[in-house]
Amino acid sequence: MLLRFAWRNLWRNPRRTAIVVVAVSVGIAGSLLSMGVNYGMVDQMVVTAIRTELGHIQVHAAGWEDEPTLQKTLPGGAATVVAALERDPRVRAWTRRVRGDGLVNSPRASAGVRVIGVEGEREGDVSLLREALVAGNWLGAAPRRALLGESLAERLQVELGDKIAVSVQDASGDLTGGGFRVGGLFHTPSSELDRSTLLLGLGEAQVLFALGDAVSEVVVVVHDPDEVEALRTSLAKELGPQVEVRSWAQLEPLLVYMVQSFDMMAWYLYAAVFTAMAFGIANVLLMAVHERTREIGMLRAIGMSRRRVVAMVVLESMWVTGVGLAVGMAVALGATWLLRDGIDLSAFAQGLAAYGVPPRLSPVLRARDFGMPLVIAGVAAGLASLWPALHAARERPAEALRHV
Amino acid sequence: MGETRLAWRNVWRSPRRTALTVAATVFAVFLVVVFVAMTRGVHEKMIEDSVRLSSGHVLVTAPGYLQKRTLDEFLVLDDAAVHTLDTLPEVVGWAPRVVSFVLLSRDVTSRGVAVMGVDPARESTVTTLSTRVVDGHFIRGGSPHEIVIGERLAERLGASVGDQLLLYGVAYTLETAYDLYTVVGLLRLPDARLERSMAIVSLADLQEFLVFGDRISEIAVLAESSERTGALRDALRRGLAMLDSRPVFHTWREVMPDLEQLIVLDDLGFYVMVAILITVVGFGILNTILMAVLERQRELGVMLAVGLRPAAVFRIVFLESLMLAAVGLVFGLVLAVPTALWFEAHPIHVGGTMAATFEFVGMEPVIVFRLTSSTLWKSSLLILAVAAVAALYPALKASRANPVDALRTI
Amino acid sequence: MRSGAHGRRIAVRRLRPLLLAGMGCALALAAAQGGAPAETQGQSAAVPGVRGPGLSLEAVPEGLDADVLARRADDNMRSASTYFHGRMTVESPRLATPRSITFESWEDRGGKRSFVRILAPPRDAGTGFLKLGSNLWMYIPRVERTMRVPPSMMLQSWMGSDFTNDDLVRESSEVEDYDHRLLGVDPSVEEAPGRRAYVLAYVPHEDAAVVWGRIIAWIDAETLAPLRQEFYDEDGEKLRVLRFTDHRRVGTRTVPFLWTLTPLDKPGHRTAIEVLEIRFDVELDESIFTRRHLERSDRDG
Repeated sequence: MLLRFAWRNLWRNPRRTAIVVVAVSVGIAGSLLSMGVNYGMVDQMVVTAIRTELGHIQVHAAGWEDEPTLQKTLPGGAATVVAALERDPRVRAWTRRVRGDGLVNSPRASAGVRVIGVEGEREGDVSLLREALVAGNWLGAAPRRALLGESLAERLQVELGDKIAVSVQDASGDLTGGGFRVGGLFHTPSSELDRSTLLLGLGEAQVLFALGDAVSEVVVVVHDPDEVEALRTSLAKELGPQVEVRSWAQLEPLLVYMVQSFDMMAWYLYAAVFTAMAFGIANVLLMAVHERTREIGMLRAIGMSRRRVVAMVVLESMWVTGVGLAVGMAVALGATWLLRDGIDLSAFAQGLAAYGVPPRLSPVLRARDFGMPLVIAGVAAGLASLWPALHAARERPAEALRHV
Repeated sequence: MGETRLAWRNVWRSPRRTALTVAATVFAVFLVVVFVAMTRGVHEKMIEDSVRLSSGHVLVTAPGYLQKRTLDEFLVLDDAAVHTLDTLPEVVGWAPRVVSFVLLSRDVTSRGVAVMGVDPARESTVTTLSTRVVDGHFIRGGSPHEIVIGERLAERLGASVGDQLLLYGVAYTLETAYDLYTVVGLLRLPDARLERSMAIVSLADLQEFLVFGDRISEIAVLAESSERTGALRDALRRGLAMLDSRPVFHTWREVMPDLEQLIVLDDLGFYVMVAILITVVGFGILNTILMAVLERQRELGVMLAVGLRPAAVFRIVFLESLMLAAVGLVFGLVLAVPTALWFEAHPIHVGGTMAATFEFVGMEPVIVFRLTSSTLWKSSLLILAVAAVAALYPALKASRANPVDALRTI
Repeated sequence: MRSGAHGRRIAVRRLRPLLLAGMGCALALAAAQGGAPAETQGQSAAVPGVRGPGLSLEAVPEGLDADVLARRADDNMRSASTYFHGRMTVESPRLATPRSITFESWEDRGGKRSFVRILAPPRDAGTGFLKLGSNLWMYIPRVERTMRVPPSMMLQSWMGSDFTNDDLVRESSEVEDYDHRLLGVDPSVEEAPGRRAYVLAYVPHEDAAVVWGRIIAWIDAETLAPLRQEFYDEDGEKLRVLRFTDHRRVGTRTVPFLWTLTPLDKPGHRTAIEVLEIRFDVELDESIFTRRHLERSDRDG
């Protein structure tokens, strides 16, 4: 009943209430949307990292994380690891890779690169490298083809079909190399990757590095990202101490830091905006209370307790905030939907690419992102109502009734 | 003049209401000024940290050097040029260098690196490299054949302080150049890639090694701040116009385009937040002024009835809004400026995961503040502009009030 | 990694087999059923993979096998074990006077091993290069240091010349890493006036670590001695020319005693090698191809 009362009170001065509601909506919509863009950016960073190279989990020979050398391999095509993965229903896909460093040269230029041998079919299930092809064909179509990042190809001044030579130090330390043709060019959101990576077929890479049937790593993606840690621990236990099983968060803790720092930013943003809002709400409530001094006096006279008066004012505050929240969230969600194809940030493409973020960014708002603003808004509304509520409660009924 | 006084009196008619609105404005002004100071400071530091690791604010080279980077692209500084560089007011520091690709080896292990010959005294006026030594010391002017390498490079070579490394390459005269250098220090840099390939010797040593004479590859110049980059470039252009080598002047923006974009992007995000904050406050002002107008219907009606022109009424209400904002502005600045200045003098040192994030992007884990006058007058202008916009509707409403209707309200 | 100027040196890599142990160009004869574009007499024709005016070539006599000829030409310049003593002169716009280096080398063709010792100038005297398979070690006596040349240094200039370290080491030979095709007979080649030359195209194998498009070689029709080589990139642009002059008889072989390399993209640059002495089928001591030998800087073989 009090609820309804509070509601009606609000709309006694529709214009004033409307302005406050609009203010709250703008504040909330604006903050949510801007956080949405930020979350979108962080999401992209994480997604790019996971989908280009990290995967959800990586398995290496023990000691690889401290010192990643060519010689630390998983022998026999990592058969035991693969078997364990095949048995586990949480695993969506897996692939194997060979990793080494080398020098690639063309008739006109040379560059130091990371050479990664990938399994044609499986890699496509695990990483976005296959989709990132902008020219040519994926591996497996023809022998002795190499895939280059677009910017690497530019550096070397080569195009599709040109011959390149790759020199490496193989597993026994010998200088060796081979000729390949540029079979395809890829463009990923990460400029670092595009500039310094060469992809070869797994078999050909194993031959180049004289690894036999050994591989450097097994990369795993799961169905449900929340199960990553559980899977990691069970795999580690099953496979024993000769291998290391690491999650993406462990391999790139920086990504986790970034996510955390954005959460902190969100907190500050909401706190600032809602505090500013709180002043406005308080003002309006105060005015409203002041206008209704007589009425409140009457209510008190007929027996309404102080506490209920306070509650009523607080509820009014909650109502205003609530409506504003609802409208604001609807606007934010609507805008997010409208912008789902992404905001064009190509003017900042280079800067974003350094962090693995593509130049078209869509804002992202998930259910749990609304929790924080809701709570902060509620607290702000509550605090805003304190002074007016206490003020209302303090008036003595007799004096209130005499008020004009 | 009467209008101003009237407006002022009106503002204080409902002290509580005004106080709340002023408080909101104070809050907003305080946040905006302090946070702009913080963002400014952080960005400046980002740029400074980056340019003070490598190219300075302006990099002076021979034409084609950045693309080709061979010994064919060189500069020669005569005494006049040196004097110019030493005395130009925009030049905070300048560092001549020679850069060449050589083989560095310890025992049988060897790596190709781009070795940089620096003038130790001058180098410290531009880069912070000399402060990043974690083991041993930086190269010193007097002692010959000292070399400082990145920690990661040392690891790859299996070298430590005190070891002798062989430098091997082709001199400018196409003779083979080789000599032994002693590792006197190891560097730790925020950029791992840079650290893996950084090797520094003295300029004189490298010039002799490469039989380069008094030629140099590049000059890194430091400006007073990143904002003064343009002025520095212009000054250098004028001052060094006489040089035979026909130098080209590259700003840090050209050398590190990623950095500038990231900063602009960050600024954008911040401006959005400021916009939201100011809008909310603007609505607050709107509401307050509007309520004030509506309450004074009768009074306004009387004023109009006795001949006060509607334009004057408009102005009075408009002024009320501006004054409200101005009061908030003044108090806000009174609180914000000392705060920002205090933080400017006492930067915040961060720790934990925040620190790690900073270090990843190559920054020191400190939050620096920088307050400039442009921040102050821009924020002031912004608040007053918002107040002006917020006042439009109420002021219009007040000036259009019908005296007859107004008089009828009780 | 360095690009640009250093990158150009890569183009010269293919010179290595021709340089170290001697030279060989192969004659390739495509039989009628081949595919070699042997031209009729006097007609100018475009050469596949080469930009620019065509060559005026005569038809090729029947019965010659391209690969056999390649091997024979190679044999003309190298034996199972070859000793070489030469002077390399480098010209460049940076130098007022050309720079000269004298060196000797020993090659064990079958074992893919070779050894080079620099004899002059004094600053470089005693420097040694030991190649075992595809690995290269270098020794500098003045500082008593041996080091293994890493991949990133392989494309750097060798001793300041227009050759690279990689040229010294490349395992491939023109016989193994290339396909050979006879293009025709050139009746008037600059380097051997009055003599006829076979013109050959060397096309690298797909999996060979060679980024050339092709090499066009002229070989004396009678002695099979090399006369000229032109190096083209895959777009058909000529990047280098290597000329062979001052031919003399050494036993049963005819060897050019002056080789001149001109990079076409670096005006004013030229590297020349004068053969001071060349001996075939020499006795090679196993100990030459050891690190211990590398680290001695005296002149005993």
